[in-house]
Amino acid sequence: MLSRLEAKKPSLCHSEPLTAEKVRATLCVLKGILTSCYGPSGRLKQLHNSTGGSVCTTSQSAVLLRNLSVTHPILKILTASVQNHVSCFSDCGLFTAILCCNLIENVQKTDLTATTTIKLNTHLLNFCTSYLRSEACGCRIPVDFSNTQILLCLVRSILTSKPACMLTRKEIDHVSILILRAFLLIIPGNTEDPIILGKSIIVPLKGQRVTDSTVLPGVLIEMSEAQFMRVLPVRKSSPLKVALFSTSLSGDFSDLGEGCMVVSDGVSLENAVLDQLINLGRQLVSDHVDLVLCQKVIHPSLKQFLTLHHIVTIDRVGVMLMEPLSKVTGTQPIGSLGSVSPGSYGSVKDWCSAKFGWKHFFHLIPNEATVCSLLLCNRNDTAWDELKLTCQTALHALQLTIKEPWVLLGGGCTETHLAACIRHKIYKEPGSILQDDGCTQAELQLIAEAFCSALESLAGSLEHDGGETLTDMKYGHFWTIQAGPPSVVNWTDLLSRCGCGVYNSQEELSWSFLKSTCHPFVPQACLPHETEEIRPQSTHSLTLDCLTAKLSGLKVAVETANLILDLAYVIEDKN
Amino acid sequence: MVMACRVINKRRHMGLQQLSLLAETGRTFLGPVKSSKFITDEECHGNVLVSSTVRLLESLDTTSAVGQLLNEAVQAQNDTYRTGTTTLLFLAGAWSSAVEECLHLGVPIAIIVSVMSEGLNSCSEEVVSLQVPVHNIFDHMGSTKAISELKTVSVSLGPFLQDSSGASSVQEKHDLKDVAPRFTFYSLSGRPVKSSEFFKPDAKIEAGENTSQTLKSSLHTDTCFRKSVLVHSRHFNRTDNNQGIHKPDRFQELHGATTFQTYRCSDLAELAVGLSHGDHSSMKLVEEAVQLQYQNACMQHGNCTVPFVFDISRLITCSLPGLPETFSCVCPGYIVQVSIACAGLIKELENRPIRVVLIEGDLTESYRHLGFNKSTTIKTVLGSVKLQEDSSEELWANHIMQLLIQFNVNLILIKGNVSEHLTEKCVHSKRLVIGSVDGHVIQAFAEATGAVQVAYITQVNEDCVGNGISVAFWRNPLEVIDRNNRIAVLLKTEGINLITAVLTSPVSAQMQTKEDRFWTCAYRVYHALKEEKVFLGGSAVEFLCLSHLHILAEQPLQKGDHTCLGWLHHTSSWLASSLEIYRPTVLKYLASGWHKYLSALLYNTASYSSEFEASTFIQHHLHSAIGSGSPSSYILKEYSKLNSGIFNSSILNKLEQFPRVYDVVTPKIEAWRRALDLVLLVLQTDSEIITGLGHAQINSQKLEGFLFL
Repeated sequence: MLSRLEAKKPSLCHSEPLTAEKVRATLCVLKGILTSCYGPSGRLKQLHNSTGGSVCTTSQSAVLLRNLSVTHPILKILTASVQNHVSCFSDCGLFTAILCCNLIENVQKTDLTATTTIKLNTHLLNFCTSYLRSEACGCRIPVDFSNTQILLCLVRSILTSKPACMLTRKEIDHVSILILRAFLLIIPGNTEDPIILGKSIIVPLKGQRVTDSTVLPGVLIEMSEAQFMRVLPVRKSSPLKVALFSTSLSGDFSDLGEGCMVVSDGVSLENAVLDQLINLGRQLVSDHVDLVLCQKVIHPSLKQFLTLHHIVTIDRVGVMLMEPLSKVTGTQPIGSLGSVSPGSYGSVKDWCSAKFGWKHFFHLIPNEATVCSLLLCNRNDTAWDELKLTCQTALHALQLTIKEPWVLLGGGCTETHLAACIRHKIYKEPGSILQDDGCTQAELQLIAEAFCSALESLAGSLEHDGGETLTDMKYGHFWTIQAGPPSVVNWTDLLSRCGCGVYNSQEELSWSFLKSTCHPFVPQACLPHETEEIRPQSTHSLTLDCLTAKLSGLKVAVETANLILDLAYVIEDKN
Repeated sequence: MVMACRVINKRRHMGLQQLSLLAETGRTFLGPVKSSKFITDEECHGNVLVSSTVRLLESLDTTSAVGQLLNEAVQAQNDTYRTGTTTLLFLAGAWSSAVEECLHLGVPIAIIVSVMSEGLNSCSEEVVSLQVPVHNIFDHMGSTKAISELKTVSVSLGPFLQDSSGASSVQEKHDLKDVAPRFTFYSLSGRPVKSSEFFKPDAKIEAGENTSQTLKSSLHTDTCFRKSVLVHSRHFNRTDNNQGIHKPDRFQELHGATTFQTYRCSDLAELAVGLSHGDHSSMKLVEEAVQLQYQNACMQHGNCTVPFVFDISRLITCSLPGLPETFSCVCPGYIVQVSIACAGLIKELENRPIRVVLIEGDLTESYRHLGFNKSTTIKTVLGSVKLQEDSSEELWANHIMQLLIQFNVNLILIKGNVSEHLTEKCVHSKRLVIGSVDGHVIQAFAEATGAVQVAYITQVNEDCVGNGISVAFWRNPLEVIDRNNRIAVLLKTEGINLITAVLTSPVSAQMQTKEDRFWTCAYRVYHALKEEKVFLGGSAVEFLCLSHLHILAEQPLQKGDHTCLGWLHHTSSWLASSLEIYRPTVLKYLASGWHKYLSALLYNTASYSSEFEASTFIQHHLHSAIGSGSPSSYILKEYSKLNSGIFNSSILNKLEQFPRVYDVVTPKIEAWRRALDLVLLVLQTDSEIITGLGHAQINSQKLEGFLFL
């Protein structure tokens, strides 16, 4: 036999990868893509393969990064850590990615050694996280669970920040309320510790109007029309016995693995399996089961047998519904065709069949529900996919507020406020940050400036239509103004509200452009009593962010930037 | 794998341009007079005849990202409502060029998005005033008056009128013959039609003794002009044909507006003709189908105590190409084509109740239910050396035959495929096997006969068998035999909730169009009955939107009036404060979309020699409507004005029941929304990210403006 041997190629080693022009250029492209997506007026991206595959229009980091196939290891590190953050916290993906890009870019301009920058960045990060978690933090609001306003604002802020969902104001209000309701439905009634949250299942109903969306307690299982016609109304009032099968009841043979099975003529394996199924059916009948659910397929003959004995059968439930079904009914999913132990059965309160749009559903109403179904409609596939992801993000953000009952001010205000805090700290007491690391104050000044401007330009990325970005000198909040305003004019009239919507321009403030340098000042906190005051008239328009997600985003961004800055060599295996 | 990214929003927005170009292709489908198109494949020399937006987009190569989004939007609209796709396509085009104009003027994108979307919302709220309730529509069903009236109407309109694409000379003759009485209808009005009726493209028609003459000549010029437009359709731009086509609609619209006194619709015939939009022959079938279903429901539920709901899933079509148009009809029961070989069998089965089995899957030996995975690693060995005489298929077929004989089944309806071998065997033993039956048909038979659907015939027991089905030829078999030697058979049973509409056409290329049009009509009626409301038709709603937007643009934005701000009122961005400057401009551009829509519509109905002329006409009315202070009452007033005009001529009194033009509500508003959503989605997109391309592919394409990651 002829074989050919090829000599192995030597590995390639690049030193100082960040200094390469190509790397900088691609990093710049990536940053451009991400920055242009950021915020409620962010631009959308069409993702497609240009050969007729489906087109996805999005501005969400989760979708973008999943589909971007980046080549350079540095970009891979960046995208991987952002994706990891998104998979844990859902929100603040773009925030993380852009901040990381900004940091790398700004730090590179300083000419400091990697060790110094990393050390200082870490100190600054620690300052930020401890500030945001401290009582003194001036850019967070406590969540009041007895009032829906703050929670609704949080959900609404998340929905408005994804323009590809194509929602109108009314639809945003409608979906926000649904999401909040879905969130409340999964909180268990008893307040035992620890609280175990239920699950909200998003059920697709594409093509209908968004305002047709609804939330129902319990589980909705899609079924065919023929099945729909067969579902009988419940006739008894006692709890209904349920069996849930995770194994296929279709009568085929489980995977035999490799090799061949030899059967002599006249033996019908199919009939043998069917006999076994019917035996199982007999047991179900004698156990007085009322409903049989199966993840996979039920053999038509078994279905016929069970229907004959007034047992409702629903098959092809799908793996996604198995866990919630087992939870709400209290069943043990049955994984074999052998005899079923009575302990595996569960119960439900009621069921009914329902029709939404063109689809038929089996609606299972459990005794104690911490599971709900969010029937989500949108006009077309692209917008639906985007909306689904957004709803999941919002539901996740709400869940995170239970752990840390605070929200951050959104709309860029937290970023500029944080930058103002850092500037002031460096100006007043640099020693408290420096500790004894052997870094000089000048170095700290440089890195702090890089860090602050990374935060500020992140806030500035919210502006996509050529407006100017400002910060006020009292609270350190973020403001925007039309580009090229007349020189002598009262800014109070030109500006309306700050990014998060807490302050309006009538409060005797002074402003400076974000890019210009200004004298450090003590950013004042919006005190709790102040928020109480502003609440009645303006909570409807507050832009809020999830604290937990944003904190993690900040951490991931700084740490990833540090990691990338620390890279000395890239070794590439060319084989 | 390499990913490329292209910036599509430099100076001119490429996506918007593509969108308006693509939408341009559907322009001639707008309005009741549709011009068909030939789509020719240069490579394969294949031709397709299309006359609807959905079919057009199916045949076009829309591989560009924007093309696909457009296709997706149109498909979604079609899947959900089955109507409104042409409106969607046209408005998407009109609005994308309007948005582009806004971009040229330097309006920030966020403001365009916000103002346009709230502008459309405001329009949707405004047009509620033109809704007509559809109530108690079946109260008059008992009286045959309405029905007979409609019949005379449809007779006078002739069966071929909606066939704008039908170009056979025979048809033309028919058309002309049928046109004649209609001309006299026109002259009967005895006075010039008020040109102020923008809904009706009649400005040029000075009705009088020689209306027909005027019409003819004016149309002649139109069609001459149109010839140059319809370069791709060399067959279908005949003068005579066009003439024949547009008139019923005008007639329709003229009389449609006449009897508007109560603004409610409580008669099915009136509703049906109002929603027919010129396609009377299809609508006649739909109307009869609704009546049949209603009658059936009454019989089933006794005295109509249960409110009747039109179940469109129990309406099916049977297309018989090659038969004359007059054979089109609706029948209770299931009409299906079977091979001529079964003719003898059917004769034998006629006039006696037969028993049926309903199969959900295929009827073949190898069929297993969905989800059953056949193991490939099982081998069967023969225990003893005996020669197998029959194949396993033969054994299976024999087994099935035994079962059929045992249960005395003569009819098997199967959702899936059928083994040919078995079919032959069954024919020999006088059993009729029909495969590929629609699920709803099976369901209907199951309900009517008490049969239970099974996956395998081996599951059948006595309880699964349905009884009392009658089989008959649909018409004389010699009359209706088609080229493929298939004959139509009617299967029915007492009280079956199933109606078949038989669609026939001598031109087989038209079959698809005919079917599409039938369903469009059926779904219009379905939505109208479901929503219990319709819009005043004849472009009244669009005109109201146009004038409403103009009025909205003039109104100064009030402080604290958040409804106009859209999501912008959530944001504190400078955009919110500069909204006031741009708002009137954007609203006017949004209105320009309606304006284009109306002028294209008027132009398509062939009463204007140019779109410009049509546009001026609209402009004139726009001024009057805005001047009147309330456009909606202006529109209603114009309707009733014409009304009194008609009533003056006593001869037309008997046409009092003559229906007006209606439009469906939600599908229409949804089509607008989808069109605008699409445009705004494309507008907000600034780059295309192309995934999964090899280096070589991009290099070979030599595309500029790509960035790589």
